[in-house]
Amino acid sequence: MQTRKPRKKSNTLPLLLIASPGIFYLIVNSYLPMFGVFLAFKDFNYFKGIFGSEWNGFENFRFLFRTRDALVMTRNTLAYNAVFIVLGTAAAVLVAVLMFELGKKRRVRLFQSALLLPNLLSWVVIGFIGYAYLNADTGFINKTVYKALGLPAVSWYSTPGPWPFILVLVHLWKVTGLSSVIYMASISGIDKGIFEAAQLDGATKLQQIVRITIPMLKPTIIILTLMAIGRIFYSDFGLFYQVPQNSGRLFDVTQTIDTYVYRGLMERNDVGMSAAAALYQSLVGFLLVLSANALVRKLNPENALF
Amino acid sequence: MNKPYNDIKVFQRVATLVLAFLTVLALLPILLIFIASISDETELIRSGYTYFPAKLSLDSYYYMVKQSGMILRAYGVTVSVAVIGTLASLLFTTALAYPLARKDFRYRNALAFFVFFTMLFNGGVVSSYIMWTRVFGIKNTLVALIVPNYLVTAFNVFLVRNYYTNSIPDALIESAQIDGAGELTIFINIMIPLAVPAIATVSLFTAIIYWNDWVNGLYYITDAKLYGIQNLLIRIMNNIQFLKVSTNVALLGTQKVDLPGTSVRMAMAVIGILPIVIIYPFVQKYFIKGVVMGAVKG
Amino acid sequence: MKPIKRLFLLLLGLVLTLSLVQGVFAQSKQYDQVTYAYATFNNIPTTEALAGVEEAINQITREKISTEVKLVPIVIWEYSSQVSLALQGGEKLDVFQSLGDFNTAISTGMCVDLTDMLDNYAPESKDLIGEAWLAATSFEGKVYGIPTYKPIALTPMVIYRKDIADALGLDMSAVNHVNDVTEVLRKVKAAYPEMTPLAAVNTGNIGIGLTVPNVDYLTDSYFSPKGVLMNDELKVVDFYASDEFAAVTQLARTWYNEDLVMKDAATTASAAAELMASGNYFCYIASYSYPEVDTAASLEAQAGGYPLGAKIIGSAFLDTSSINALSWMVSSTSKVPEAALKFLNLTFTDKEIVNLLIYGLEGRDYVVNDDGTVRYPDGQDASTVPYTAQLSVGTLGNFFIMHSLQGTNSESLAWELEQNKNAKTSVAMGFTFDSTPVKTEYTAVVNVIEQFLPGLVCGSADPETDIPLFLQRLSEAGLDEIIAEKQAQLDHWLANK
Repeated sequence: MQTRKPRKKSNTLPLLLIASPGIFYLIVNSYLPMFGVFLAFKDFNYFKGIFGSEWNGFENFRFLFRTRDALVMTRNTLAYNAVFIVLGTAAAVLVAVLMFELGKKRRVRLFQSALLLPNLLSWVVIGFIGYAYLNADTGFINKTVYKALGLPAVSWYSTPGPWPFILVLVHLWKVTGLSSVIYMASISGIDKGIFEAAQLDGATKLQQIVRITIPMLKPTIIILTLMAIGRIFYSDFGLFYQVPQNSGRLFDVTQTIDTYVYRGLMERNDVGMSAAAALYQSLVGFLLVLSANALVRKLNPENALF
Repeated sequence: MNKPYNDIKVFQRVATLVLAFLTVLALLPILLIFIASISDETELIRSGYTYFPAKLSLDSYYYMVKQSGMILRAYGVTVSVAVIGTLASLLFTTALAYPLARKDFRYRNALAFFVFFTMLFNGGVVSSYIMWTRVFGIKNTLVALIVPNYLVTAFNVFLVRNYYTNSIPDALIESAQIDGAGELTIFINIMIPLAVPAIATVSLFTAIIYWNDWVNGLYYITDAKLYGIQNLLIRIMNNIQFLKVSTNVALLGTQKVDLPGTSVRMAMAVIGILPIVIIYPFVQKYFIKGVVMGAVKG
Repeated sequence: MKPIKRLFLLLLGLVLTLSLVQGVFAQSKQYDQVTYAYATFNNIPTTEALAGVEEAINQITREKISTEVKLVPIVIWEYSSQVSLALQGGEKLDVFQSLGDFNTAISTGMCVDLTDMLDNYAPESKDLIGEAWLAATSFEGKVYGIPTYKPIALTPMVIYRKDIADALGLDMSAVNHVNDVTEVLRKVKAAYPEMTPLAAVNTGNIGIGLTVPNVDYLTDSYFSPKGVLMNDELKVVDFYASDEFAAVTQLARTWYNEDLVMKDAATTASAAAELMASGNYFCYIASYSYPEVDTAASLEAQAGGYPLGAKIIGSAFLDTSSINALSWMVSSTSKVPEAALKFLNLTFTDKEIVNLLIYGLEGRDYVVNDDGTVRYPDGQDASTVPYTAQLSVGTLGNFFIMHSLQGTNSESLAWELEQNKNAKTSVAMGFTFDSTPVKTEYTAVVNVIEQFLPGLVCGSADPETDIPLFLQRLSEAGLDEIIAEKQAQLDHWLANK
């Protein structure tokens, strides 16, 4: 038996070298262009260019806070994202667990392909589908389902009430298939021996899932949640603009920061203001994630992002 | 010892039921699109979308056939981009994730922060665009569809790192080190083979992202020969959308434009997902094997 | 090894010399290079197809203005952002157009002052457009752009199913105002209960907004006014607080309640042509710049082939935005502004060039009929020819020297020219508003308008309850500040006229 201590060569350099292509790419693609952040504080003039335009302090940020709309959009963005994180994780984990249990059966392939399909559709198309179902004059729901049930037609695009549910449903429909894949991969990484041991001890399937699988998924769930928190001030533009078909009467429940900025700047393509909005969203997400990460680091150090 | 077996069977039955239900939910809307694409246009507008159209018509697909040259070329572009992009991305990503997973790496936390920060802050599309076109001159090349934005994402890096950390025991790495293996050897001989599920996952994600992307094409490609399929479809659809927004119509004096109808738009949507629907079942075999494999034994 | 080395050096020397020589020759060509970016609704052509058109244009421009032109067609909906991106990124783009955002282009320094250059490099265009119209593309006395020369006067019309009107014996000549339309709709509904009489023009618009006459929108879009001039007065007022607006929304609401208009007009995914083609609708209201007969005839093909009639129900009104909505400018980053202006001038004066731009190469992309109109080659249409920008007819250069597409009437051109000259003009013609001082309020107000306006003008919102709420929100968002700023700028402009 060898007792000599291996001479620990510093592995810093080789590891850095291995990481270098990735590092180089991130520098070029993400860090260097960060100079664009300046635009948020400038009154951009095409003739003077990015560096020659004048500074205008926080003027470009005012529109994000000015009216009650600002409150509405912030509230909506945060609320929807919170729900998406919670329900999205639950749905993805559920699907992953179920699919994993079916193992190598052929039907798994069918299920998996089917659940992935919605993710391949662009939001414009999904907007059309929504319209096909919910359109007051000729929509499927009004003309077929409600008629059969004897209920009066509802002007869906003018009734804000049901929309939070509709949007959450559509979001889950689109992403669950793909997110579940991440969890499936993690589940597959769990040592089979643990399951076998538990089974010998008489644990039921349900017990195994609740006591083994889900806890073992904790690191993955934490990482994904942390990353989601970082993006909590961003919203999926397509979901909130296309699906409600840009209907004004629904704004109170469908307006998010991204749609507000888009609409506001549609007539006046203001470079500074869009940069300001992007910076605002980044900053808040950044602060939130720092706090969340610090929290995780206290409780569960190896699961923290950094 | 029958109890465990019954238990498993029951569970599997429940799983099948639930998943079957979800599958139906997932597919119903897509079925509607497909049916709309083979419905008669006038009927669509008159009686709305339905699963049982009064009149069928393949007119939309005839219209698409006229554009078939453009569409096939777009498929070619997108497939190449997806394949090359995914392979390249895997290379960069798995490599970058490796040092992050090594607890004895001096700059582990710093690097993690470095990577994560890119997820939160970016200088905006314009600065990125200026960087890639002025400094690297990639406008109107295939490179422009692959490299900007998607080649290495913090999300994928952390996914892979997560897998490295949680599913590959340190013991393996340590014993390799004792045997005198260098970092590169460990990376190639241990991490990659054992991280197949993560690699399969990331390749699926990346392939889908490349397939779905139309933004890169919008900014960097002006030569119609290099349009990807989603880019092509979005351009056509947005052309239609643009003309339907009142503001624009007024300023153009209500152009007398012949817009492709609803049925054609649905046909376009079908075309957008068709190749994947056809190819995926074949690829899936390997994919499931990869994900479900669980290579590590006690 | 030696001989090979020598050969290698020789080759190297040869290559170097050749490139030097080529460089010298390239220098001696000495044509100015102008990049011309225009919006297109048709398919973007392949590089080869485009090159053919470019070369044909260059043969003319090399001779006439010693310039070579590079064409950059951009899809209409991406046009503004692509131009913005290109200019920010320092790409070469010399000539481009505004799409309703002319004043923003000026206030953010996108275009150069053309005033002094016009006489030298574009005197013909200057005469063609005339002082009055050039005032619309000026700011503080300096000319910044040249408006597209085309039929601009938009007249609101009812486009209706002629066959149904005849069957019901409707006298459409008695319909002269939007209020007269109500009776017609009622009659149609009574006779055909399954039909919806009025279709939307497009999303959020059933056409009644533009039937309020004598409104100068002061640089805003017709569908998103924020402070307007009404009835020849020089006081900026809130359009939404006016009696006219209340009346129009009441009308829409009446129509909505009586099932005379489609219920989802505010969010419809279909445009008027499709809706008419379905056969389920009787008419729609929109504004066109072509005479009645022409409009109806040209729309029939898109509307499913049903026979259509058109009746004017209002009169045209020109304000500054009508003219400068589609203005051509020379970019502030251009290194060859004189050459750019010279080429721009040609698009207004040279028949060959403008037709090359719009229709492409004769024979390959279009053929000329005996009567002088043009059509696509047999077996082809707009989507299959290598190059066409036919749908851009109303967006660039001089409309009146372009070929007419088969089926259009040459007398219409005369009518349209007349309309241009004689349409009622706003008292504030020539005034453009710079929204920079109130840009924060603008974004807030735009969102409020997007929220309330479509419902109100399509009848799905109840004016009684919604208008007060709307006005309140507008005020909170800062509409009063916008109006005050507009008034200040207007007064300043009037004082210095």
